[in-house]
Amino acid sequence: MASRFWTQQQSDSESEEEEEIEEEEEELETRPDPREGAAAGSKYLSANLSDSDESDDQRRVVRSAKDKRFDEMGTIVEQMKNYMKINDWVSLQESFEKLNKQLEKVIRVTESEKAPRVYIKALVMLEDFLVQALANKDAKKKMSSSNAKSLNYMKQKLKKNNKLYEAEIELYRQKPESEEDSDNDEEDEEGMESEVDYSDEEPGNIAAGYSGSEDEEEEEDEEGWEKKRSKKDKLMDKQFMRDPSEITWEMVDKKVKEIIAARGRKGTDRTEQVEQLTYLTRVAKTPAQKLEVLMHVVSAQFDVTPNLNTHLPVAVWKKSVQNILSILDILSQYRNIEVDERVEPESDTETQKGADYEGPIYVRGNIVAFLERIDDELFKSLQCIDPHTKEYVERMRDEPLFMTLAQNVQDYVQRIGDKSATARVALRRVEHVYYKPQEVYEAMRKLAEAQTSNVAEEDELPTEVDEGESGEDGKVIEIKARESKAPPSFVVIPEIVPRRPTFPDLSRVLMDQLVSTIYKYGDERTRARAMLCDIYHHAISEEFHTARDLLLMSHLQENVQVMDISTQILFNRTMAQLGLCAFRAALINEAHGCLSELYAGGRIKELLAQGVSQSRYHEKTPEQEKLERRRQMPFHMHINLELLEAVHLICAMLLEVPNMAANAHDIKRKVISKTFRRLLDINERQTFLGPPENVRDHMMVATRSLSNGNWQKAVEVVQSLDVWKLIPRREFVLDMLKSKIQEEGLRTYLFTYSSYYDALSLDQLMTIFELEEAQVHSIISKMMIAEELHASWDQPTRCIVTHNVEPTRLQALASQYAEKLTVLVEGNEKAFDARTGGGLEGISSMRRKEGQDYAGAASGRRQNEYTGRQNYREFGNAGNRSGFTGGRGAGGQTRGGFYRDQRSGQANSRNNSSYTAGYQSTRYQDAYSSVGRTTYQGLSSAGASRNAQPDAAGRMVNLAQGGLTRSSGRF
Amino acid sequence: MAQYDLTLTIAPYLDRHLVFPLLEFLQEKQLYTDDHILKAKIDLLAKTNMVDYAVDIYKSLYHTEYPLQEMLDRRTEVMDRLKYLEELAAPLVSFLQNPALVQELRPDKQYNLQMLHDRFQIRSEQIEALYQFAKFQFECGNYSGAGDFLYQYRTLCTNVDRSFSALWGKLAAEILMQNWDVAVEELNRLKETIDSRPDPPLTQLKNRTWLMHWSLFIFFNHENGRNGIIDLFFQEKYLNAIQTNAPHLLRYFATAIIINKRRRNMLKELIKVIQQEHYTYKDPITEFLECLYVDYDFEGAQQKLRECEELIVNDFFLGKQVQENGYLTMPLRDEFLENARLFIFETYCRIHQCIDIGILSQKLNMTYGDAERWIVNLIRNARLDAKIDSKMGTVVMGTQHTNVYEQIIEKTKQLAVRSYVLASNVSPASATIQA
Repeated sequence: MASRFWTQQQSDSESEEEEEIEEEEEELETRPDPREGAAAGSKYLSANLSDSDESDDQRRVVRSAKDKRFDEMGTIVEQMKNYMKINDWVSLQESFEKLNKQLEKVIRVTESEKAPRVYIKALVMLEDFLVQALANKDAKKKMSSSNAKSLNYMKQKLKKNNKLYEAEIELYRQKPESEEDSDNDEEDEEGMESEVDYSDEEPGNIAAGYSGSEDEEEEEDEEGWEKKRSKKDKLMDKQFMRDPSEITWEMVDKKVKEIIAARGRKGTDRTEQVEQLTYLTRVAKTPAQKLEVLMHVVSAQFDVTPNLNTHLPVAVWKKSVQNILSILDILSQYRNIEVDERVEPESDTETQKGADYEGPIYVRGNIVAFLERIDDELFKSLQCIDPHTKEYVERMRDEPLFMTLAQNVQDYVQRIGDKSATARVALRRVEHVYYKPQEVYEAMRKLAEAQTSNVAEEDELPTEVDEGESGEDGKVIEIKARESKAPPSFVVIPEIVPRRPTFPDLSRVLMDQLVSTIYKYGDERTRARAMLCDIYHHAISEEFHTARDLLLMSHLQENVQVMDISTQILFNRTMAQLGLCAFRAALINEAHGCLSELYAGGRIKELLAQGVSQSRYHEKTPEQEKLERRRQMPFHMHINLELLEAVHLICAMLLEVPNMAANAHDIKRKVISKTFRRLLDINERQTFLGPPENVRDHMMVATRSLSNGNWQKAVEVVQSLDVWKLIPRREFVLDMLKSKIQEEGLRTYLFTYSSYYDALSLDQLMTIFELEEAQVHSIISKMMIAEELHASWDQPTRCIVTHNVEPTRLQALASQYAEKLTVLVEGNEKAFDARTGGGLEGISSMRRKEGQDYAGAASGRRQNEYTGRQNYREFGNAGNRSGFTGGRGAGGQTRGGFYRDQRSGQANSRNNSSYTAGYQSTRYQDAYSSVGRTTYQGLSSAGASRNAQPDAAGRMVNLAQGGLTRSSGRF
Repeated sequence: MAQYDLTLTIAPYLDRHLVFPLLEFLQEKQLYTDDHILKAKIDLLAKTNMVDYAVDIYKSLYHTEYPLQEMLDRRTEVMDRLKYLEELAAPLVSFLQNPALVQELRPDKQYNLQMLHDRFQIRSEQIEALYQFAKFQFECGNYSGAGDFLYQYRTLCTNVDRSFSALWGKLAAEILMQNWDVAVEELNRLKETIDSRPDPPLTQLKNRTWLMHWSLFIFFNHENGRNGIIDLFFQEKYLNAIQTNAPHLLRYFATAIIINKRRRNMLKELIKVIQQEHYTYKDPITEFLECLYVDYDFEGAQQKLRECEELIVNDFFLGKQVQENGYLTMPLRDEFLENARLFIFETYCRIHQCIDIGILSQKLNMTYGDAERWIVNLIRNARLDAKIDSKMGTVVMGTQHTNVYEQIIEKTKQLAVRSYVLASNVSPASATIQA
C-alpha cells in the first residue's frame, strides 16, 4: 500500500497513535479519549450507539463505521476542492496525505481492497488540476517558493500514486456520471444480491446440481446485473448469452484464461469473477475442463475475502464447500483425472480429452490446500463472530459439513496414495474433534444426522430427475433444453461422494483412527500436533495416566520451545487440560506441576490464546497485536479460565500451606508456588479485607483459615465457588477436595503447633479433623519417617509424643549462619582456585572430599523432601525446584557454580546441559521479547531445572530413553 | 488364587518350550482344571515337533486310543524333514564329532571356513544346514544336542542375525537342560549382544523384555541369581523396559529385593517405580511394599503379607520346592516372610516410642513368646536400640537425636581448618604474583 509509505515518511508516531485509537474504538473500548477533541466526541457517541446494538445486528455496526469513514473522506475531498480554488498547493499536499490515510481506514472498514469511488474521483480531479497548473507556466512562476515546492512534490507523488489505481481511474474517466456517488450503495446491493442468491442454496440444494429453479434465479440475477454493468462487462455477457450448444471447448478455455488473467488485478470485481466462472462450469465441455474451471471457481471464491484478518462470508464459504465436493465427485467418477500441483501444464489441451479418454489426464491444483483454506476460514469466522450471538451457533453448525468434506478429501488422497496429504487432512479432522468431550461429540453426531436427513428429504425429487437423465455410464451430455431459460450443464456429475459425515459412536474411536494414520504418515509437526490433540483428548476423558505417559514418551516438553507458536499454544492448552484432569483424579501434585508453569508469567490468557492481556511493561506494536489476534481460539474451544485458576490456586494452597507451616522460621527457604506466595503477600498487605468476590479472593480466605487450622471454613469457602458446576463428576471432586483439605489441615496443624505440645492424642486429632484413624495414623507416620515431625507414637496410650527437638529461633539462626559460612568459605576457595588455576593439591583434594560430602547431604535432604510427597516422574517437581533454586538467591548461585565444578566427574554433562538450557531460554526471551513467545520461556526453564535436580535427572534421562522406545512403538 | 497367576502374561514372552514347565507347574498346583491345561499343552505342542508327546497328551485328554489323523501326518512329515536335515548336515556333524579335527579350528572364522571348504568340502550351505538341524533338534525336544550344535554353529557362522538367533536358541536349550552356570554365561553374552546391536529402539526394547523373562528361569535357580536379577533389572534400560512393556516383572523384582538383605538401599527406588506403575500393575507383593512404605498402613501390610504367601506358593518361579533332609521346603517363601516381617518391624520401630509386645506379635504373625524372643535377639545383635519393659509388656525405643549444638559444631568445625589452609596458601601465592 502506497499510502502506508507516505504516512511513515511523515510522522510515524502520530499516525500510529491515531490508528490505535481508531482500533480501540472499534474494539468497543468505551473510554473517551481526550486527544480526540470535540469532533471525536460525536464519533465516539455514534460508535457507542452502534456498540450497544451490536449484539442484535452486527451488520449495522459495520455500516455505521463505514458511513463515518466515507463522510470523513468526503470532507477531505471538499477541502481539497477549496484549496484548488485558491491554488494553495501546500495545503493541498497536506490534504492529499490525509486522504491517503483516510483511504486506509476506509479500506479496513469496508473490507475490500478496492479504493472507493470518492477517492478515485478525487484523484482524477487532482490529476486534472495538476495538468492544468503545470500547463499554466505564468502562474507557476508567480507562485511562492513553498507553493512551487509543494507543486513539484505533488506532481511526483500523484504520478506514483495514480499508477496503483490506473484501472479505476480509467474506468472512472470512461463513465464518470453513472458511477457518481453510488458506489457505496451499489456495492451493498451487490452484496445483498449475492446474499439472496446464496442463502437460497442450502447445502443440499446445490447438491441437486444445476436444477431448474436455481438456474432460473441465476438468470434473473444476470439480468439484474446488466443494468448496472459497464460496456465492457456487457460485451463479456454477450458471449455468455450465446446458445450453450454453440459454445466450444476452445471458447470456454479462452474465456477461463481471460478471467484468470484478470484475477488479482485492481478493479476486477471478485464476486463477479466467481459468477462468471460458475457459469463456465456449467458450459464446460469435458469433465476435465469442468474440473479445471471448478478449481478456478474455488480459488476465485477464496479471493473474495480481501485480507487475512477478515473471514470469507459464510455463504461463499458454503458454496466453495459444495464446489469442492463436486470436484471430488468428478474425481471419483473419472479416475483417470489426476489433480496435482506439480504437473506442468505441458499441453494446453490437456483438458480437451473427453470423458471417454483412457489415459491419465492431469489437472493442476491442490485439493488439500483448498481443504486447509476452508478450515482456516471456518476457524477465522468463528474467531470473528461474537460468540454470544445466534450467528455463532449457526456457524458452528457448519462443522459437520466441513467434516464431511474433510472425510471425502481424506478418502480421495488415500486413494491416490498421497500419504503426507492424508496425514495433513487427518490432522485437520483431529483438530475439530479433540477438544470435544463425549457429550459434545454426541451432539455433533446427532446434528450431522439431523442435517443430512433433512437435506435428503428436500433433495429427493431433483436428484432423482438428475439420475434418471444421466442414464448410461453416469455421464450424458444434455441435449434436451430445459423449460427454464438457463443453460443446462453440459457435463452432469451425479453425486458420488457421500454428503454426510460418518462418525463412530465414541469420539475416542474416531480419534484413534485418525491419530494412528497421522503417526504413520505425518511429518514431524503434524505428528506433534496430533500427539498433543491425542493427549488433550485423553485428558478430557479422564485418562490421566495414559495422557501423561504419552506426553512423557513423546518428548514434546523438551521440543516445544522450538515449535511454531500455534503448536505451543496447543501444548499449553494440553497442559492446562492435563492439569484439570489430574485434579479431578485427586492428583494434586501433578495438577500443580502442570498448571504452575502456565501461571508463572501471569499471562495465562495469552498462553492459551483466549484473549489479549495488556502488559504493563512493553507496548505491543500493531503488527504483534494483529498476529496475536489471528491466533486466538474460537470461543467454543476455550478452557474456562476461572476454573483453571481455581484449580491452580487450590493445588498451590494444598501444597503451600503445610509447606509454609513447616518452614515457618525461614520463610524463603522453600517455595513451592511463587505465584501463590505473591498473591498471599499482596493479600496480607491489605489493610482492609472485603468479602471475597472473585476466585482469587475466595482462595485467599480459604488459605488463611486453613493455615489457622480452621479447615471447615476453608472447605466451605472453596466449595462455594460457582465454577464447580463446570466440572464433571462434581460430587466426587468436592468430596475429594474436602478430604484433601482435611489432610493438609492436619499436617499444617501439626507443623504449627506440635512444638507446643508434649503429647497429642490420636483420638483428639481424629475428632478435630474428622478423619479416619487409619488416615490420621498414616499421615502422621509419614511425617515422622520423613523427619518432618519430630515425634513418635506411644502405642499403649494412642498418643504422639513429641521430642521437642525443633530448634529455637536462635538455634535455627545459628544453623543458618553456619551454612552461610560454609558457602562463604567455599566461595573463597573457588576464587583462589580460579586465580591460581587449579590450585594447590592439598586444598583442592580436601575440598573435593568436602564438596562431595556436601553434595551428598544436599541431595539426601532433597530426597527426603520429595519422598514424603510423590514420585519423581511426575512433573510436579519442576515447580518446586525452580522455586527452590530461585529462592536461595545469591547463595544458591554460588553453590550452583560450585556444584558444576565438583560433580564434573559423573554428572557434568547433565548439569551443563541444564545450565545452557537455562541460558538459552533467557537469551530467547530477549530475542523474542514480543508477543506470546517469551512466556514459553517459563516452560523451558522449568524443563532445565528439572534436569538440574541430580536425582530426578536420572529419572528423566531414564524416562527419556524409555520414551524413545515407547514413542517409536507408537509411531 | 488364579487371579494372581501370571502364566498367561508371561507366556507371550517365552519360547514355546519354556512355557512347558510353567504348565506342568500349574497342573501340579491344580489352579485350573486338568482338561484346560492339557488343551493348552496340545496347543503349545502343535507348532513344535514333539509329536509323540502331543499324541500322548491327546490320548489322555480325550481318553482315546486313536489320535487324530493330522497328528500322524505331522509325525511322518517331521520324521522326513529330520532325515533330510540330518543328511544335509551330516558331513559337518561328523567333522564336529571328531575332537581331533575340532582342535584345528581357530578363532579366525574366515580361516575356518576356508579350511572346511578346502579340506572337507563343507560349504556354507552345510553350515546353514547345521543351524536348521539344530533348530529342528530343539523343536523335537533334544535340547542338549541342539545346544551343542548351536554352540559350534556360532563359531562358524558369519551371519550376524543368525548368530543372534543361535544365541537365543542356545540360552533356551541351556535353561531347559537346567545348566544354570552355562545359562548365566549365555545370558550375559546375549545381553551384550543386544546392547551392541544397532537395532531400532523398539526392537531393543522387545529383546530386553524377552531377555528379562527368560532370565527369571535362571535367576531363581542359580545360586547367585538373587544378585544377578537385581543387577540386571536395575539397569536403566531394563528398568525402562519393565515400566513400558512388562510391569508384571515388578513382582519378581520386588521379591528379589525383599529377600536380599544387602540390596536394601534399592528399596526406595523400587517403591518409586511401583508407585508409578501402580495404575497398570499391582499384586500383593507390590501392594505390600506400598502399604508399608507409602501409606504406613501396618494392618494392610499384614493382610497383604498373608496374600503374598499364597501367591508365592502358586508362582512357578517363586514357589520352587527344595528337598532338604527329606523335607520339602520352599526356601524363597520362608526368606520372603522373614524379611517382610523384619521390614514391618523396622518401620514400626522407627515411628514408635513404646510398643505393646502383644499387639506387635499379632502384627508379626507370631506368638507372644516368639515375638519377645525375636526382639531380644534383635536387640542383642545390636540391630535395635530398645529395651523391653517386661512388667508392662512393652518395648521402649531409645531415641537418637543429634543435638543442635552438635550439629552446628559439626558444620563449623571444618571451616576453621579450611580457612587456615586457604590463608596459608594464599600468602605464598600472592607473594609469587607480586614477585
